[in-house]
Formats: sequence, C-alpha cells, structure tokens
Amino acid sequence: MTIQRLCVTALVTALACFGAWPVLALEELKIGAIGPLSGGGTAWGLAINRGTQMAVDEVNAAGGLKVGDKTYKIQLVMVDDAYTATGGRTAADRLIKLEKIRFIIGPIGSPSVLGALSATDPSKTLVLSNGFAMNILKNESRAAYNFRTIDTTNEFAPAMIEWMHRKHPQVKKVGMLGTNDATGQAVLPMLTEIYKATGIDVWTDSFDRGSQEFVPLITRLMAQGVDLIDLNSNSPSDAGLIIKQARQAGYKGLIWQVGGPAVPEIMEIAGPLAEGFMSLEMFDFSSPIGEKFAEKYHAQWPGVINAQVPLWYNTTKILFEALRRAGSTDVEKVRDAVKATEGYDAGVIGPVVWGGQAKYGVNHQLLVPVWIAEVKGGKEIILEKITPEKR
Amino acid sequence: MTLVMRIAGACLVVLAAALPFIDKDGFGVTVGTIIALNMIGATSLHLIIRTGHVSLAHAGFMGIGGYVATLTLMRLGWPFPLNLLAGAIAPACLSLLIGPLLLRLQGKYFVLVTFMLGEILRLAFLQWSSLTGGANGIFGVPAPGPMFSSQAGFYWLALGSSLLCIAIVARMLTGNMGRIIDSVRDSERLAQCAGIPVLQVKVAAFVLATGLVGIQGGLTAHYLQYIDPGAFTSVQSLSFVVMNVIGGMRSLFGPIIGATFMTILPELLRGYVEMQHVIFGLILIAVMAAMPGGVVDAVNRARQFLSRRTRGGNLDSNLARVEARQ
Amino acid sequence: MFNAATIWQVVVNGASLSAIYVLVALGFTLLFGIMRVVNFAHGAFAMLGGYALYYFWGRFGVPYVIAVPLAAAFVALVALIAEGLVFRWFYQRMFESMIALLGLNLALVYSAVMIWDVSERSIPPAFSGLIEVGGLLLPKDRLMVICIAVVVLVSFWVFMTRTRQGLAMRATAQDLEIAETQGINTSVTYRIAFLIAIFMTALAGALYAQIYSLSPFMGDRPLMVAFVVVILGGMGSIPGAALGGVILGFTESFLATFYGASVSSFVSFGVVIALLIVRPWGLLGTPDGARA
Repeated sequence: MTIQRLCVTALVTALACFGAWPVLALEELKIGAIGPLSGGGTAWGLAINRGTQMAVDEVNAAGGLKVGDKTYKIQLVMVDDAYTATGGRTAADRLIKLEKIRFIIGPIGSPSVLGALSATDPSKTLVLSNGFAMNILKNESRAAYNFRTIDTTNEFAPAMIEWMHRKHPQVKKVGMLGTNDATGQAVLPMLTEIYKATGIDVWTDSFDRGSQEFVPLITRLMAQGVDLIDLNSNSPSDAGLIIKQARQAGYKGLIWQVGGPAVPEIMEIAGPLAEGFMSLEMFDFSSPIGEKFAEKYHAQWPGVINAQVPLWYNTTKILFEALRRAGSTDVEKVRDAVKATEGYDAGVIGPVVWGGQAKYGVNHQLLVPVWIAEVKGGKEIILEKITPEKR
Repeated sequence: MTLVMRIAGACLVVLAAALPFIDKDGFGVTVGTIIALNMIGATSLHLIIRTGHVSLAHAGFMGIGGYVATLTLMRLGWPFPLNLLAGAIAPACLSLLIGPLLLRLQGKYFVLVTFMLGEILRLAFLQWSSLTGGANGIFGVPAPGPMFSSQAGFYWLALGSSLLCIAIVARMLTGNMGRIIDSVRDSERLAQCAGIPVLQVKVAAFVLATGLVGIQGGLTAHYLQYIDPGAFTSVQSLSFVVMNVIGGMRSLFGPIIGATFMTILPELLRGYVEMQHVIFGLILIAVMAAMPGGVVDAVNRARQFLSRRTRGGNLDSNLARVEARQ
Repeated sequence: MFNAATIWQVVVNGASLSAIYVLVALGFTLLFGIMRVVNFAHGAFAMLGGYALYYFWGRFGVPYVIAVPLAAAFVALVALIAEGLVFRWFYQRMFESMIALLGLNLALVYSAVMIWDVSERSIPPAFSGLIEVGGLLLPKDRLMVICIAVVVLVSFWVFMTRTRQGLAMRATAQDLEIAETQGINTSVTYRIAFLIAIFMTALAGALYAQIYSLSPFMGDRPLMVAFVVVILGGMGSIPGAALGGVILGFTESFLATFYGASVSSFVSFGVVIALLIVRPWGLLGTPDGARA
C-alpha cells in the first residue's frame, strides 16, 4: 500500500512538474495599464487593475499566451496617473521607456488619455482606453494607435433616450446636474442635443465634482418644473447623494442615469430612497455569465464590483486575441488584428462590433451592448437590453 | 560660492546636458524634463519666499502663462519663442496689478489670500470655455519648432529655460539686490527705516517670479501637446511650496534640491502600489521633524559639526555655532 | 422662482448648511487659536470619526445617543498617538506644521483606502423622514445636526469662559511663557486642547458622513469648508467660526438656489478675498500687526 502511494505521489508530482514546466520556461510579455490609483477616481483605477488582472491570470493559468511560435507568460504593470494629463503622460513614458511596453490598457479620464497619447503615438504603442473626449478618436493622426473599448455617451444615449420617450411619453422636461470637469462638460451638450431632438425640453447646471451638498441646486432644479432628472456621468457618490437629497426635498418625478453606471453603490448611498431609480447598466450581473464572473472576482477581492471591471476584462481579452491572431508582437500587425476582431466573443460582453466611422472618422470605437436597469423592492432588476447603432 | 562649488555646479550642468546620451531614449530623460520644468516653478517661488511671503497661487499664474502661450500660438499664429514670451508677460501683468494690494498683508494672511486667488483662477480656466476649452482643455498644441520636437530636443529646451530662470533668480538674490531682499524678509520695519521701498521690492520679486513660472506653463503645454485646468490646481501650488520647504527656504539650492527630490520620489515609490502615498506622507513628516530648515540647512549643520570636530573650536566655528542656533 | 415658498426653503436649507459648517470649523480653529497649528489633517480626523460611527452605530448597534460621542471620543484618544508622534514637534511653527500635517493627512487617508477600500458607504440614518411645516420640508437628520451644533457651541463657550481649564487654555493661547509663569501646566493644557479639538472634528465628521456618505476621501470638503469659515470669522476665534459658518451656509444656500453653483463659488471666493484684503483678521478675529 505504502509503495503504491509512493508511486502515485511520485507520478503525480512528476506530471505536475511537467505540466508546470512550459510556464516556467516561458518568456515574459509585459502589458501596461494606466489608471487613477489616488484621489477620487481610485475606484475606476482599481477597476482597470482588477479587470485586466483577471484576464491576465486566466491566460497564464491556461499555460500562457501563444503568439506565433512562442508562448508568453503575461505580466501586468500598472501605473497611477492621478487622473491628470501630466500623470497620464508620465505613466505612459514610464511604461514605454522603462518597462519597454508596447501595449497599454487604459487610461480612463480624457485629460489622462490625451496626455498619454502624446507619448504613445510617436512611439507607436497600442492603447485601448476609455475617455469621453471626441479628440481621443477624432484627431489628426486618425487614432492610428488607439482604440476606445467602452461606450461613451455618444454610443449609448440615443437608444436610451428613445426608450425613455417611448415608455414614458409624459416626460416633457429633463433637468441635469453635471460636474464641472472634462467628462461633465463633454457630456451635457451631447445629452442636451439628443433630448431636444426627441422633443424633450432641457435645463442644466454644473457643480464641482465631490461637492456632496446639492440641496440648493435641487431646490433650484425643482423650481424649473422638471419631470425627469438625468444624472448623466456623475460619480456614484454624487449621483447617490443627488437622489437622496432630491427625494428628501420632496421631488416626485422620475430619476435616471444615462451614464455611470453605479447602481449598487447608489443603492448603498441612497438606501430606500433609491426606489424607482433607473440607470444604464453595462453588464448584467444577474445573468448566468454575470454570476460566474462575480464569483471569479470575489474569489480574489471583496466588496462591490465596479461595473467597469468586466469591460476591462473584455478589453484585455480582445488584446490577447489580436496578439494570437497576429502571430507576432509587432504593434502594427497587432493593431490591424484588433480591427479585425469583429465577431470575436470573449465570453462576457458578447461579440465585438467596431463602429464610430460617422462620428469620429475611424471605426475604433467598440460598440458594447447596454442594459437599462431599475431599482425595484430594494433590488436591481434588468428591464431591457439595448444595442448601440453601428454608425 | 567657493571655487569648489562653482566647479561642482559646472560639472552637474554638463552631466545634465549629457543625459540624453547617457540614457538612450530611457525614462531618465522624461524624469529629467519634469525636474527641469518643476525647477522653474520652485525657484521662482523661492524668490517670493525670500521676501517673506509664501504664495499658494503660483500654479494659477503658471496656468495663465500656459493658456496665453497656447492661445497666441494657435489662435493668433505667433511664432514659437514669441508665444512663450507672451506667456511670461501675461501673468506678470496681472501680478503687477494686484501685487501692491496683496503684498501689504502679513505672512499667514498672504498665504490664505493666494490660496483663494489660486482657486478663483482655476474656476476661471474651468468656466471660460470659449477661451480655454473649459475642463477639456485645448488639444493638439504643436511642438515648439522642429529643433525641439524630439525627446532629447525638448529636454534641452526645458533644461536651458530652467538654467536661465535659475540664473535670473540667482542674480536677484546676490549682491546688493540680494541684501535688500534679505533685509526686507528679516525685518520690514527696520528696512523701511533704512529707506528701502519695501512694498516695491516685494512687488518686483512677485512680478518677476510669476513671469518666470508662466514660462513653465507654456513649456508644459508644448510638452504634453495639450493643456487643461487639471495641471494648475492648489495641489500643484502646494507642491512648489513643499519643494521649497523640504529643500530649504533660505538658499537657492533649496528649491533645486527640493524639485529634484519631489519629482524623483514618487517614481521610486511606484513599486509599492498601495503603500506609496502612505510612505510619501510619512517621509514628509519625518523630513519636517528632523530637518525643519530643509535639506540645505541640515547639510550646513553637518558641515559645521564636522568643521568644529576637525578645527577644534576656533572663533569662526564658534560664531557659526551661535548663528546656527538662531 | 423668487416666491415666498422657495425663499423660506432657502432659509431652512441655509440653517442646516450653517450648522454643518460651524461644527466642521470648530476643531480647526481651536487648534490654530491655541497651538498655532494649521491642521491639514483635519479632514482625515473627520473621516475617522465617520468610520468610528459606522462601526459603533452601524455595526455594533450602540444606541445612537451614546454612539456619536463615543465615536468622537474614541478617535480623539487614538489621535493622541498622532499628537505625541507628529503634532508635538510643530506647535507654534506654522509652516512646518502645514507640511508635516499634509504628510499625516496623506498617510491617514491612504491607510484608510487600504483598510476600507475606496467605495462609498452609507451610515444608517438615526432619524429618517421629513418634517413638514406649512409646505416647508426639512429632513429630520439635518434638524438633528442643527440641534447638536447649537448644543456643542454653547457647551464649548461655557467651557472656555466659565471654567478654570478654559481660562487656562485662553491664557496659554495669549502668551505661552506668561501662562507658564502663572503656574499653568502648558503641556497638559495643550493636550486637553488637542483632545477637545479632535473630539469636535471627529463628531462633525461622524454627522457629516451620516448626512452625506462615507469614504476615505470624504474629508477633503470639510477641510476646504473649515478653511473658508475660519478665514471669514477669524483664525482662532470660536464666535468667529460660528459667524463664518452661518454666513457661508446662508450665502451658499441663497446664491446656489437662485443663481447656480458656479456663481455661488465665484462670489464666495471673491468675497473672502476682498475680506482678506480689507480686514485680514476676519470678522471677529483680533488684528495683530496684520498689515504693513
């Protein structure tokens, strides 16, 4: 018996070493990530870090990424950009020059993305980022080396607002409180245009991000006679507080968010006052795929999952697929492969659709399907799925 | 400045200029560029500090310089060095206007007023979107001429501008002018009695300093090829102050050391992703507790201590000891 | 827009804002008035007060009336460690204290990020629901803050003016050396002043976190508010902090409701700058050779 046990153990050990051997002998391929790991934007920076890390861990556990005739162990290097332009540029420089990286995931804030592009474009580094500014895709170099892999207001708003008009035709005037920063100033005019085109009147005002005290602004908003409040791209904290304070001020109309999304955080902050709140959702956590993803996430990290985590996971998977298809780490080949990933399904978001030609002049915008969710009885339920138009 | 110090300084400058050759398209040149740019802000602020005032609006003036340089280049078509000059003159004009009003205030009130001023400037950059592009800023700022558009080329531009600013500030702080400035800081009443036009001296320093930092603003816009209000916040102003306090507020070497230290430290701490800010905060506390006069002061004390040891207490070093205690 | 109902609502909102602002500024001005320390870590202690309340009231279920002062006292006692390690080196040294406390703030805030994660939490409300009087609405939790602010202000004023310890503190603030010659144990006095200041800061933070939301970065705004209130009222003056808080609260309520947030910010800043130029020691501070 003991001899048998010994043999089995030896065999298993040998197999394990043999199985691990390829990974041990693998060359390393570094990919970079940039995002805010300090200040108010830290939640999104962590979303980039964790979403990307999940994809990296997955590919390494499967034995590495096969690119051409080599198999690589992927290493993720993440740098903080402090959500500023200088930060994005310095982070990009550090990744490109010090770490010799040619593929970057992120950043998220427009100033940071634009700052980073001044380093990545000249050095031909591939960037898969977020950021709401038009300039990110619509620029002189025609986004030669960058893509945007998360929907912006341009992509999800038209379909959502059309849905609202259909389901609640009694809405005649919408009030929007937006932030006084890059995102807010980009998003409010976009939304105003779309609402007006749908025949809904618009009133807007802006505030300093993180101000937390909205009662005077809400009093002002309520005096305008709006029947819908749109929280547009406010942070989870500001959005949750606006809902709480609006209900406390006696507002009885509809509240929703064409942006975010941050439904769990908002439910946490506004408590029972979040009842009836509707929002954009970028991922259906209640679906079987969603639940599996949440399980995998919670094996490593506790707490609420930021809605962007699966989107960055998806982004990284697209990059890996492009690397695999290109069969080389040459940036131009990988970039062309990214463009050709149409139809590839990473298993969380659905098949890849590239669009944006009409608005930006290039098809470098990933069109991600979105959902509309509502808070009913203290739970988030999905109402409808919306697919952005391919334009 | 002794001969040894002059030679050492010259060697450092030569080394700095040779950096792009030593560190071929490496990260060192990037860090060097940021250090050079930050030095402009830190040393120009030092000029104001030497007159006895700490300004928390310095980044706001940097922003004015940056936007004016960008707008004169992109909207008015002014050629390269001219737009930087405009970026230096604009903030100087503003400080000429409001300086006489603000510089009457005593130390701590001046700090508060400049903090508020910095905030108002930031709000102006944010709200005046037709001019500044608002929070999204102005994208696509062209490189400063073909000579300086490469990585190394821009580094030399930044280094050269930085050395020029340091030279200007150094000139102000030495000789007769330097003595006047020091007397204004040490005792205003006495200086006034001696016939020194105290307010004029302070305003002159303030105007010159804000003009110099305007150059940093313009250069930053060229570097990132983008300008947005996020670079000109009270956090940045505070950074310049910290550079001076850590390096030493009584000597021009202070901001030079401080700017280098404050730019390099975050890069060194990057490895500790979660802990880096905690470590940085603890370092600030430790430095302030152990070296209240800054690095320069600590070095001076060390030198005096050593010289006392070797020379065994003659009149000079005894005097030095008495001075150091004050 | 300018009708009676809205104007009354503006007044009610202004009162609740003022209460919050006054509470937030008290600890800050006390530290400056007595120890000449610019507490850049003010926001961090407020944030710690918030987390303390989250645990005592939200998790352990301590009755609310006890949980609030308990949370504040807990933070104040723990802060004594910071007092011994950090604050003590910088009394009477304004600039060095600024930078060192900035460092302390960074260390505390990012330690909180590591311990508690960045996402916002909410502290369960003690009183939910609204009070409606003739069409005017005031959330009950804000009414409670107004009451607490009044109680804290009054008890603090009584302490400072009617007790021996309060007298000792005022004497120490006026002149450290003379106070010592009078037999006052100044280091004990400083420590008591520190405890009271942090207690009030943590209390304000706990209430602030309950009304708004709790996160490691929530302290930034209380710090900003404390700064502005104390500039308005005069650094080191308690009645000044009260007056400054009231002025800021009502002005913000009025301007933001009728003219929007950006007008409100611009005007507030402009007024403060103008005040600093014309009367730098604030409305109720004491001029001390402020101008050349």
